[in-house]
Amino acid sequence: MDVGRHPNITLLTYSQVESISGYVGNFHVKVLKKARYVNAEECTACGECAEVCPVIVPDEYQQGLSCRKAIYIPFPQAVPSASIIDMESCLGTNPIACGKCAEKCDKKCIDYDMKDEVVKFDVGTVIVATGMDVYDPAELDEYGYTKYENVITSMEYERLMSAGGPSDGHFIRPTDRKRPKTVGFIQCVGSRCEKIGKPYCSNICCMNTIKDTLLLKDHYPDIEAKVFYIDIRAFGKGFEDLFKRSKEAGVTFIRGIPGEIIEDPKTHNLKVMVEDTTANRIEEHEFDMMVLSVGVTPRSDMPEVQKLLTLSKTPDGFFMEAHPKLKPVDAPTTGVYFAGCAEAPKDVKDSVTQASAAAARAETLLSAGKVKLEAITSTLNQDLCRYCAMCSKVCPYNAFTVDPKSKKITYVEALCKGCGTCAAECRFGALSMKHFTDDQIITQIDAHLAEDPQDKVIVFACNWCSYAGADTCGGARLQYPSNQRLIRTMCSGRVHEKFVLHAFRKGAPMVVVSGCHYVDCHYIDANRWTQKRVEKLWDKFEKWSIRPERLLLEWISAAEGQRFQKAMQDIEELRKKVTKEEIEHTIKVLTEEEEKAKAKKK
Amino acid sequence: MEEKDFKCLRCGAINKYPYEKGVMMERQCPKCGSNSIRIVKEKDDSKEQKK
Repeated sequence: MDVGRHPNITLLTYSQVESISGYVGNFHVKVLKKARYVNAEECTACGECAEVCPVIVPDEYQQGLSCRKAIYIPFPQAVPSASIIDMESCLGTNPIACGKCAEKCDKKCIDYDMKDEVVKFDVGTVIVATGMDVYDPAELDEYGYTKYENVITSMEYERLMSAGGPSDGHFIRPTDRKRPKTVGFIQCVGSRCEKIGKPYCSNICCMNTIKDTLLLKDHYPDIEAKVFYIDIRAFGKGFEDLFKRSKEAGVTFIRGIPGEIIEDPKTHNLKVMVEDTTANRIEEHEFDMMVLSVGVTPRSDMPEVQKLLTLSKTPDGFFMEAHPKLKPVDAPTTGVYFAGCAEAPKDVKDSVTQASAAAARAETLLSAGKVKLEAITSTLNQDLCRYCAMCSKVCPYNAFTVDPKSKKITYVEALCKGCGTCAAECRFGALSMKHFTDDQIITQIDAHLAEDPQDKVIVFACNWCSYAGADTCGGARLQYPSNQRLIRTMCSGRVHEKFVLHAFRKGAPMVVVSGCHYVDCHYIDANRWTQKRVEKLWDKFEKWSIRPERLLLEWISAAEGQRFQKAMQDIEELRKKVTKEEIEHTIKVLTEEEEKAKAKKK
Repeated sequence: MEEKDFKCLRCGAINKYPYEKGVMMERQCPKCGSNSIRIVKEKDDSKEQKK
């Protein structure tokens, strides 16, 4: 409500962001304002239009437990407080078909001919607060949710207990509209389950159920409540106290998750069998109602938002922050921040904390008036560019745009985050990277292999993960062979094919390209290009009768010191098996191939 | 998703992994933990015969 009234905030409700272009400080946003078919400024939300509307459809806000009309106010505190017409349900834009709402409205707010409107504006920063969805147990018909009326979700329970809910706050069970005597709660429905692809903890459900049981005991002390759980995660401030209060109020907590629910067809009561792992016995319980504590899932429209802002996602489907500890509210794209469940499941307190942090981060940037960019960025030499557009294809941040008519590449340095994938993929040498130029890296290779190259292993390690993993390994005093020579790049995506070939030409018996695991890639998906490049090299090696086993690809995270140690120890064993003849053959073949390539260029 | 044979270049173990043309995915050897997992290419008999 405060946001809606704030003079410096423009609230665009019932709208959809169509496109976002530009970069930090200069984002160009295009928003589709959908037609409400009601003049929101004139509407007084009297509700007389809804009274005469003949169309009845399930009310989404009440979880389908009651109905609304085709013209309606989405929920009591809606901003703006005005009606809206659901045109898919409305009998027609033609007033001849119905038009009762227009007839009834004295202020003549209803406009069937209202059109969607596109609004464009420029912003300096963007905060992504797209929220979350809740798991739908109907997908796998968990616990007979679609078969048994008395099995409800925690969201439906919220509505049934709410004074503004479908039963005006009277807690009734759906089959007989009577107050239940026993209620069971099953935790982790749609969370911590590999089978349904949701292995993560939804964070909020334990405390939500504890709150629900307290509410139940507060309103109806005589109702018996039992909670089935894997383990209760009451980790926040005051949470343990709330858990204790719930137990003191008489709620029974049973450590065990029922396999299924069976309904008694006569009474519609629900029976569950469960192994109480604390008491170490099988128990049978009967309830009048069962509440499924459903987990949190990423929003269904996340892929669209991801495309709009070139964001990356974690395996569980939520948006990935730039750094889990140092930049927990920043997106990988500069000037974009996260707030709330778009980034991970979190409760109100954590969401507010993150939203405040995101607002502060955005404000800091805006008030500064200028932005400090990465010093390590790519540089484009337009004279060498042949407009193959590979750079625009590989850049995770869309820093390159191609104009096919003018055959010109436009490079926005402000968008570059310095992974160097473009420089590694450019076949014409038009792209380079500040502080990690080809010459600088090749000089390092030459220096490492200047003496006894047959005893060395060249390891290209990305700054954020595998190089840090080597540090962790060293810091933990884990021993690994001393003949490994690490060359740091910002991302494994920077490792050009020619660096690998150069190392082999200089007599390296083994070369390792290492970077972040897919989910950890600091540059969204730049390491996918590393893998593609290495796979191509394996094919080339096979063609040239060089064992592909001599070029290895390893994903090692910053915390995986032991993994780094094991990889390096195994690689040392492999190095010992590389013969002198093999190295000589490799040098000969690669030198010939290099000469052939040079002759072709001429 | 279709599964194909892949060889670990570090330890030589051959395992089946999900595969879809054009889709990049992280593969890890269950034996040694390496990510140097290369698809085992089937030999083209028609090419062999031509030779």
